[in-house]
Amino acid sequence: MSIGTFDSSNLDAGQKVAVKYFSVAIVLFVAQILFGLLAGIQFIAPDFLYNVLDFNVNRMVHINAMIVWMLFGFIGSVYWLVEDESGVPLVGAKLANLNFWIFTTAVVVVVLVYLFVQVGPGTQSSIWLINEGREYIEAPRWADIGIVVCMLIFFYNVAATFMKGKWSGISGVLVLDLVALAGLYLAGMFFTANISMDQYWWWWVIHLWVEATWEVLVGCIMAWGLMKTLGARRKIVTTWLYIEVALMFGSGILGLGHHYFWIGTPEYWFTIGGFFSALEPIPLVAMVVHAVYDSGVHRFRNGNHPALAWLIAHAFGNFFGAGVWGFMHTLPQINLYTHGTQWTASHGHLAFFGAYATIIIAVMYLAVQKWRGGVWMSGDMPGNGWKWKWSFALLNIGVVGMTVALLIAGYEQSFIERALEGSTWAGYFAGQTQPWFIQGMEWRMLFGWVTAAGIVLLVWDLATIGRGETRTAINPAVSGEPATAAA
Amino acid sequence: MIDPVAVNDIMAAAIAGALIIMFGATYALLFAFSRLRGQRLLMIGAYLAYGLLAVSVAVLARTLNLEGFWQSVTAVMLVGYFVAPRLIWNLCAGTHPPHGDDNPGTHPNPHSASGGTMQ
Repeated sequence: MSIGTFDSSNLDAGQKVAVKYFSVAIVLFVAQILFGLLAGIQFIAPDFLYNVLDFNVNRMVHINAMIVWMLFGFIGSVYWLVEDESGVPLVGAKLANLNFWIFTTAVVVVVLVYLFVQVGPGTQSSIWLINEGREYIEAPRWADIGIVVCMLIFFYNVAATFMKGKWSGISGVLVLDLVALAGLYLAGMFFTANISMDQYWWWWVIHLWVEATWEVLVGCIMAWGLMKTLGARRKIVTTWLYIEVALMFGSGILGLGHHYFWIGTPEYWFTIGGFFSALEPIPLVAMVVHAVYDSGVHRFRNGNHPALAWLIAHAFGNFFGAGVWGFMHTLPQINLYTHGTQWTASHGHLAFFGAYATIIIAVMYLAVQKWRGGVWMSGDMPGNGWKWKWSFALLNIGVVGMTVALLIAGYEQSFIERALEGSTWAGYFAGQTQPWFIQGMEWRMLFGWVTAAGIVLLVWDLATIGRGETRTAINPAVSGEPATAAA
Repeated sequence: MIDPVAVNDIMAAAIAGALIIMFGATYALLFAFSRLRGQRLLMIGAYLAYGLLAVSVAVLARTLNLEGFWQSVTAVMLVGYFVAPRLIWNLCAGTHPPHGDDNPGTHPNPHSASGGTMQ
């Protein structure tokens, strides 16, 4: 085992697969921000790249890259922990590697088609080979099927490993969740002529993937991550994982109803969506009380400061992005005006970043630490850890700045376009030309550049942190001073 | 059918919605710290935050024209916010063993430790 250099002999088979997924995830994260910048510029200068890379293409790649990099990040995180959690080597490691290359190649092909083919005739061939035309899940049908197959192979790797090794509370929840991860995607793969029915099933993928299966995945990763970064007790994190799953069943699944307000579904969805959306903040209140309890009752030591900082950012980002920004406009009486405006984009930016990007970055720092031989990543890092601190600050300030700018633009849009002008075409253009909207977009662009600077530093830091370090990490479970590794 | 928020109340409704979550969290935070440190002043602050939460709920209910079923939703929400921190605190105390009861991160599996990050 070597220390201070990237050495795959420091990793188990699952972790070797994981670092591949993390590497692609980072590339796609950069792509997400790059295409976000292009789309942002087009809000200010609509002629920019007109007929070359139109807004609809940039926006599609921006959002699809986000979904896929997070999916790669989650898959990598699960491969990272599976051997540690099961106690046995990964079952089907060769298949897992093959699956990674197939999945990655498919993603590259889909993106190239998005960029260079872009559109096709209104025929089945376009749906199967170019673009399915369904917002957020535009991937052509062959790729849809491929995603489900890749998820099933991933499920096999994880479930077979736990079956061969030992089960735990975390692994049980995780494996059940992977069934839903593959199964729910099927709901977005068939077409119905009735647009209301089509949207009804489409939301199963969009909402239930994100607010059910991804949330539970994050719960499993967070539970494992808290044990590794803070030495939290297994019994406690498992108990809270069960509570989270129960709360998710109680509010997250039927919270789906807040997407059914305006798509032509029956009126009882107002009641269901409103009631369960009102319940959704309860887990966040629970989180606050639990965090205070743990910080006061236990004295934790931490062996990876960047990872812990990103876990804390996750807690705050989830609270503000999903909780505050969500409840602000989730009840139908106000959602009537805000739905689909920049207000929604504001909520989406902070919630996706806060709830998902942060925790994947935290696991990436844990991965880099182990990949370099379990190096020291607490205080007193070379350069005082300026790169991770600046990337952390720039990314958080950038996303929060974009969120506030989009909120201002969204408020103006809701007020002028929706409330005053009644959602007419004239209202749409009146809203888009108001100074508050335009200035909001300009400020969003500025903070977009701040975010871009943050991702550059993040990539640089992940590639260099711990290089040449000779001290080994603190084990948070057992308090102790850093040790200098034997060469 | 729902009665949409009046144009002049859009901002008030949105801010009230955000404040409900903020004051809900402040109430929970101060409640938990008060229990942890045994300080009465913090508990007074917690109830003050809950009072502001109730005001925010009232503003939301008024601006969103909530009636009938919707009023019962707001009532349930107010009760839920009041009891949730207490229930969670009791759950914390019940699920956290006394010091030394078990080992941090200990795996039930005797074959464990194939490479935790910190090892």
